Amino acid sequence: MRSKLNLILLFLFITTSAFCQMENLKWQKSDPSYEKPTKQVHRDYSFEADNPGELIAKSLANAYWFFISDVDGDNCPFRPSCSSFLLQSVKETNIFQASLMFFDRFTRDMNIAKGDEHYPKVSAGYFYDPPKNYTLNQGKIKYLPPAFIADDE
Amino acid sequence: MRYILTFYLLIPLSSLPQTTSFDFHLPENIKKFADHLFCEGDYLRAIEQYDLIKQILDNDTIEFKVMLGYSSLGFHQESNEIFKVVNDKSNFYADAYLLSLKNQLLIASKLINDSSIALFNSIQMKSFSKLTTISMLYDDEFNIPKEKFISPFDEEERNSVSSFYDYKVEPQYKSPTLAGIMSAIIPGSGKMYVGEWGDGITALLATSLFAFLAYDNFSADHTTRAWIFTGLGAFFYAGNIYGSVASAQIFNARIDFAFSNGLELFLQQQNYFLPEYDFCK
Repeated sequence: MRSKLNLILLFLFITTSAFCQMENLKWQKSDPSYEKPTKQVHRDYSFEADNPGELIAKSLANAYWFFISDVDGDNCPFRPSCSSFLLQSVKETNIFQASLMFFDRFTRDMNIAKGDEHYPKVSAGYFYDPPKNYTLNQGKIKYLPPAFIADDE
Repeated sequence: MRYILTFYLLIPLSSLPQTTSFDFHLPENIKKFADHLFCEGDYLRAIEQYDLIKQILDNDTIEFKVMLGYSSLGFHQESNEIFKVVNDKSNFYADAYLLSLKNQLLIASKLINDSSIALFNSIQMKSFSKLTTISMLYDDEFNIPKEKFISPFDEEERNSVSSFYDYKVEPQYKSPTLAGIMSAIIPGSGKMYVGEWGDGITALLATSLFAFLAYDNFSADHTTRAWIFTGLGAFFYAGNIYGSVASAQIFNARIDFAFSNGLELFLQQQNYFLPEYDFCK
């Protein structure tokens, strides 16, 4: 009786250990990434432009991104950021009007007391301030109250 | 003996529930279920149930409740489609007419030009007057004396209605041209005029700083630097004039937004001056 029981146990042991080895993927060391996941800003460094004004603005923005912003980090409290605001403004208007819009935005950015009660925000916490509101075309203005949370990007 | 008695009791108890039949698909029962759903505020499912029986029962209360349900759900167009088939001899015709006017206001946001009907009782007539009067606020050609405008409204409504009238007659807009001129004379003052004090002071400081740097460098014969600062200062100056005009426009958009939002909220609170219908007592 005892020898039969041992035989059964041996059979069970052999089949269990054999099946364990049948997996295609063996256990092995993993290489986990310990980097903090961050939301990368996908920047388009191309020089594609529809007109000379856009080309000038894109060149300036590319230079700023490459030499300053990528090294310094994402410090602009607005969305779109000031450089993207310039590019979008050129698309909306022209290089001269866009320059004025940019300097106005830059002045508003320098204001240390811009506060939460003025601009709506995007979900990531940045102030939402699209160039469409500053084209001097009353019909394009889409006013959003400061309590509004816009979709990020 | 005990077993026989138990058996005798159990048999009828278990057989009786099987013998009572309840037809859930009878129109009366569907109506009861639909009424229950309506009272629970489940209008969409209630309308589905009413749709099953409206051909059979031919009930004007059902038509009005479907209309009311659609309107409560925000389907104003669908609600008004139902109104087209409401019989004008129906007891609910006057109420359905009022509801259709409310739907019309919510669909088009414009002046209600429809006239009153003879079927209106005094309460319905009052609702009609209030609804058509308030719809004037949506019209661009607004010229009615204030006393006449607020006269259909009750005492507790008059304060709000009066403030909406004031806005319509004289909105507290800021002039973009004036903002631009002010910033051209004193940098930043146009922004301050529209209430952007922080931006205004920043613009004044930035423009003054670059103007001083330009002047100082010209004085010291550092011409290149002086021209760079002059250029920057000029851009800040011009950008501020432009920004002041834009800020005044955004300020005006904010005023319009506050008005339309306030009016919508007020009308919701007043249930668009319609009587309260309680079918669930």
